[in-house]
This record gives sequence, structure tokens and C-alpha cells, in this order.
Amino acid sequence: MTQEQRSGRPDEDRARVSRVDAPLRGPFLLLFGSAVLWLTLGSALSLVAAFKLLPAGFGSCEWTSFGRLEAAARNAFFYGWAGNALFALNLWLLSQLGRFEIRNGWMAAIGGLFWNLALIWSTVSVIISGPGAYALLDFPAGAGPVLAVAFALAGLWPVVAYAKRPTGHSFAGQWFVVAAAVSFLLAFVLAQVTVVWAPAAGVAQAVAHSWYVRTATLLWLGGSALGLGYYFVSKVLARPLHAYYLASVAFWTYFLFAGWTAPASLIGSPVPLWVQSAGVVGSMMMLVPVLLVGLNLLGALSQEGGWSRAWNSTALRFISVGVVAILFSLVLAAWAADRSVNAALRFTSFAEGQGVLLLYAGVSMTIFGAAYAALPRVSGSRWPSAAAIHTHFWASFLGAVGSAVSAFAQIGGASQTMAFVGLVSTGLLLAGHLAFAANTFATLLKGSPAPESHPAQD
Amino acid sequence: MKNFRYLVLGALAATALPFLGLVVGAQAQLGPLGRAPAEEGGPLMPPLEPGQAVQGREVYLSLGCVSCHTQQVRPAGQGRDIAGGLGARPSVARDYVLQPVVLLGDRRRGPDLANYGARIKDDDGVHRAILHRVEGRDQFAFLYSGAKHEVPSDRAIALAAYLRSLRQDYPSPEAPLK
Ligand code: HEC
Repeated sequence: MTQEQRSGRPDEDRARVSRVDAPLRGPFLLLFGSAVLWLTLGSALSLVAAFKLLPAGFGSCEWTSFGRLEAAARNAFFYGWAGNALFALNLWLLSQLGRFEIRNGWMAAIGGLFWNLALIWSTVSVIISGPGAYALLDFPAGAGPVLAVAFALAGLWPVVAYAKRPTGHSFAGQWFVVAAAVSFLLAFVLAQVTVVWAPAAGVAQAVAHSWYVRTATLLWLGGSALGLGYYFVSKVLARPLHAYYLASVAFWTYFLFAGWTAPASLIGSPVPLWVQSAGVVGSMMMLVPVLLVGLNLLGALSQEGGWSRAWNSTALRFISVGVVAILFSLVLAAWAADRSVNAALRFTSFAEGQGVLLLYAGVSMTIFGAAYAALPRVSGSRWPSAAAIHTHFWASFLGAVGSAVSAFAQIGGASQTMAFVGLVSTGLLLAGHLAFAANTFATLLKGSPAPESHPAQD
Repeated sequence: MKNFRYLVLGALAATALPFLGLVVGAQAQLGPLGRAPAEEGGPLMPPLEPGQAVQGREVYLSLGCVSCHTQQVRPAGQGRDIAGGLGARPSVARDYVLQPVVLLGDRRRGPDLANYGARIKDDDGVHRAILHRVEGRDQFAFLYSGAKHEVPSDRAIALAAYLRSLRQDYPSPEAPLK
């Protein structure tokens, strides 16, 4: 067992950081820049969609009907924002930890380009000719293969970086990120086949779809976010994670159980009972990795003033909110998989609230935190506005919490007041994202030369 | 490098196992399912869909109706669907065997539509429902013309035919009617 594995701290060589970062610059900035554009577009679409639910928003334009805007906003957030941002950040993180100097960065850039072109095509198609039956798979049939190839070019770099790392050392954050990348590619291809190209028989399509959604959400986005969480918690606190020897159990149980939770979203549906039961059991089993990840990360944060240090670090402030939200949303998912609880919650706004916690308060906040640390290193310039960072934190925190509260409060039935709270919260999210976008592009435009000349800054 | 191989193969296996178990398993069980009579010599169910309804499904899909409406009735022990009058029996897998895309849905902002065709009386009612008029404003006004949106377009007519075809009120081998 290596020193790092015992100590639970990422293996990292400060002096070489900048040499690792320099060749990353082009692809990273392209991927992250487009991520932020998608984030802004997606939140604007969400806001219009929320408005479209009110009679005042009913319109005579087919292109802006609710179902289309909702689908376009979901894809923009999921693939455009989270997807692109994780390409950039996962590559950055694994390059750091594996002392990997990317040589064929142009491949990542080409992958990112095609990923974005296919997403633009899909967004236009959803708006002009409508979404499909299956959320997150509503691309034109031809866009699927483009996305798969683009992912292989842009999204598998963490795997390469991990394979080429010079030492046998590894750290939990790396496992999560590497596994997230390979599992998404496999899931995406299998889902394209069984839902789009050669659809499964009847309601088996719904089973395939639920499996894809859970796998993409929990393994790719959730797994990557937890990987970033493992890294930053121990990096910023500058000490080993709590009970780090359990991290490998946390990792394997998370990846082994997550896919089985899928049919918990089909309880009561006309699919075989044994399929539904597997989903119930899977969701309960997820409590094991939730507990262990909590022990590793929240345990470390709870020792020796960890929370206040997290609060004082921009990156960790976002990331600790993110980690808590991801874990909490998984606990809620396990609770909602109980058949009698599910009977009351299914088809209501509960799933929206849980999704907001997982994706907006969880994954998205984690990505923000990691970006606050990574972008200055890669671009070589500091964040220009501290005020924008504050605005961003509070607007996206309150926006996510408000959206979740509004959704949970309307489980029993729609309420005008709570719909208004939801609309305001969606507006807050957009405001926060605009602050972040302004700050990001100011950083990119300032862009002083690559940080090679002044090693070991920060 | 052993560590690397374990990690990648393990992640692939963790992804593929639930797929094999759940998706391939469900496909193996449901793939052979076809139309069937509820009892010896009875008519094959579900009934074939009229051509206009098939076109109407495309309209339903393209307007994202599935973002607010489900098409599935849960069994009596699981929620209040049957008690609430959404159907006389639970939906079963066989009800969907003729549908190229299954529109089960998972969000009910509006009522479930699995048996809409069984509860609606006239075409006017269907078109009023499609308009979704609230406080004098129509959500789907663009499917109609005329001062009061009283003239349906071809798409609205197809959509209405589709909605009228939605019914699961026939007996099925898995779900007899009492
Ligand atoms: C934004 C959410 C939303 C969308 C999108 C939507 N509906 Fe509705 N729908 C509702 C609500 C809410 C009701 C209940 C209205 C009421 O009770 O007055 C309803 C009612 C209905 C009804 C009447 C149901 C009954 O049992 O009386 C039908 C039929 C219907 N919708 C069809 C459609 C079709 C077709 C589409 C797509 C073109 C569609 N809906 C899109 C929300 C929506």
C-alpha cells in the first residue's frame, strides 16, 4: 500500500502543476467556455418554461410550448453544462493527480466541438419539431452516434491520464472520475440501441430509459462530482479524509448499486413486479455508499473546524454544499422507493424537488467549486470579481433551495404562492449563473500567458 | 497496471450488470407478448389503432404532452388511481404492445389519459380539453383558428382521434374486469 493510499491525501507534486496545466489550456478553455454558455442558455430556457406554466404565459407559438422548452432546458443543463464542464474538470483533475501532460489536446478539442454541434442540432430540433417520449434521449436519431464519438474523444481523457500515471499511486477521487467516464459511454451506447435504434418491446423501453437516466445521472454526473469532492475536501483541509480505508468500499458499492435503483422510478407501472422490486432493493442499498461517502467527506469536514475552513475557501464552500446535497437527495430517493411512500409521491412534483437537489444543489455546485480552483490555474489569471463570486454563491444556493422547497410544497397539489416561489427561485438561479458567466469570461479574456513562468503559485 | 484494468473492467461491469438484469430481463419476458383474447374465442386485445390516431400520436409526441400527462393506471394497492376513477383496472404490459413508442410518462400536472377515450362523450369536449383554457387563455391556441379558436386544424383533428382512441377498458388475460 502506498503512502497516499494510507494517508488518504491526493498524491500531487506542486512544482509540476503548471507544466501539467499548460498544454491543457486550449481544450480546457474551449470545453469550459461552452459549458458556461450552455448553463446560461439552459437557465434562461428554464425560466421561460416556468413562466409558460402560468396562464399569462400561454401563447400562440408552438416553438415555445412548455414541453419543448422543458426538454431543451434539461438537455442544455445536463449535456451542455454538466457534460462539457466535467470533460474539462475531470481532465484537469486527473492530469494533476497523475502528472499527465496531455499531448493530443486537439483531440479533446475536436471532441468538444462535435459534442457541442450535436447538442445545438438537438436543441434546435427539440424546439422546432418537438421532444421525444424519453427525457434525456430526445435527440434526432443521427445525433446520438455523433455524441457517442464526441464523448469518446473528449470524455475519456481521465482514463488515459490514469493509465499513464507514472507511479502505482491512486486516490479515491481518481477512481470515481475514471469509472464515471467509462460507465457513461457504455450506458449511452446501450441506451441508443435499446430506446432509439432498435427499441425494446413495449414497456421494456421504459425500463431501458429509467436505467439510462439513473446511470447517466448517478454514475456520470454524480460519480464525477463525488470524485471532485474527494479531491477538494482533502486538498483544501490539507489533511487525510476520515476513515479513508473505507473509501474503496464506498466507491465500489456506489458504482455497483446505482444502476439497480432505476426501476424505483417505475413502481406501480405496468412493468414486471420483479423489475420494480429490484429498484426498491437497489435504492435501499444505496444507503451503504451514502453512509460511507458521508463518513469519508463529511467526517473530515466535521473535524477540527473543517466546516469553517470550508466556508472560507471559495472552492470548498460550493463543494461542501454540493456533497451534502447529493447525499441528501440519495437518502430521499431511498425513502421514496418504499412502496407505500411511493404511492403518495409518484407522479407529483417530488421527483422535481429531488432532481433539483441532486443536479442543481449537488452536481452543479460541486462543478462551480472545482472551477473556482481550476480555472485560474489553467488560464493564468485570477477571478476578477469577488462580488460576483458572492452573488453567484448566494443566488445559486437560494435558487436551488427555493426551487426544491417550491417543488416539495406542491406535492399535495399546485399552489399559486409556491409556484411563484418556484418562478423567483428559477430567476435567482439564472441571476447566479449570469454572475458566474460574467466572471468566467472576464477571466478568460484577461488571460495572461500560460502559467509556466511562475510555478507553484497559490 | 493491474489496478487500472480492475478499475475499468469493474466500472464496465457495474454499468452492464443492471442493464443485463433489468433491461435484457424485461425484454426477454415482454418481447414475446402480443395481442390476446381475454377468454377463448374472444376478440384480440388491444384493438388495432385507427390510422388517424397513429398520426395523432405524432402530434402528442411533438407537443410534449408527455411532460404533463401520464398514460398508466396503477393497481389498487399502489396509489389512488382506480379509486380516483382513472380506470376500471390497472394497466398491464400487454396494453402497450402495439405502440411503437410507449408514452407512460412520469409526471401528472394534468390527469392521467390512459382511459381518456372511455370517459369523453363528444368531440367538442376533446377539443376544449386540448385547448387547456385557463382564465380565458388557451395553451394550445396554435392548433386552432377562428376568433374563439373554434376551428380545429388537421393536427388538432388527428390529436383528438388519438385521444379518443386511448382506452384500457377491455378485459385482458392479466387484468380481467370485475
Ligand atoms: C403544462 C402542463 C400540460 C401540458 C404540456 C399539457 N397538458 Fe393537458 N392538462 C393539463 C392540466 C393541468 C389539465 C387539467 C385541466 C383542468 O382540469 O381544467 C389537463 C387536461 C387535459 C385533458 C382533459 C383530461 C380529462 O380527464 O378531462 C386532456 C385530454 C389533455 N389535457 C390533453 C393534453 C394534450 C393532448 C396535450 C399536448 C398537446 C396536453 N394535454 C399538454 C396540463 C397540461
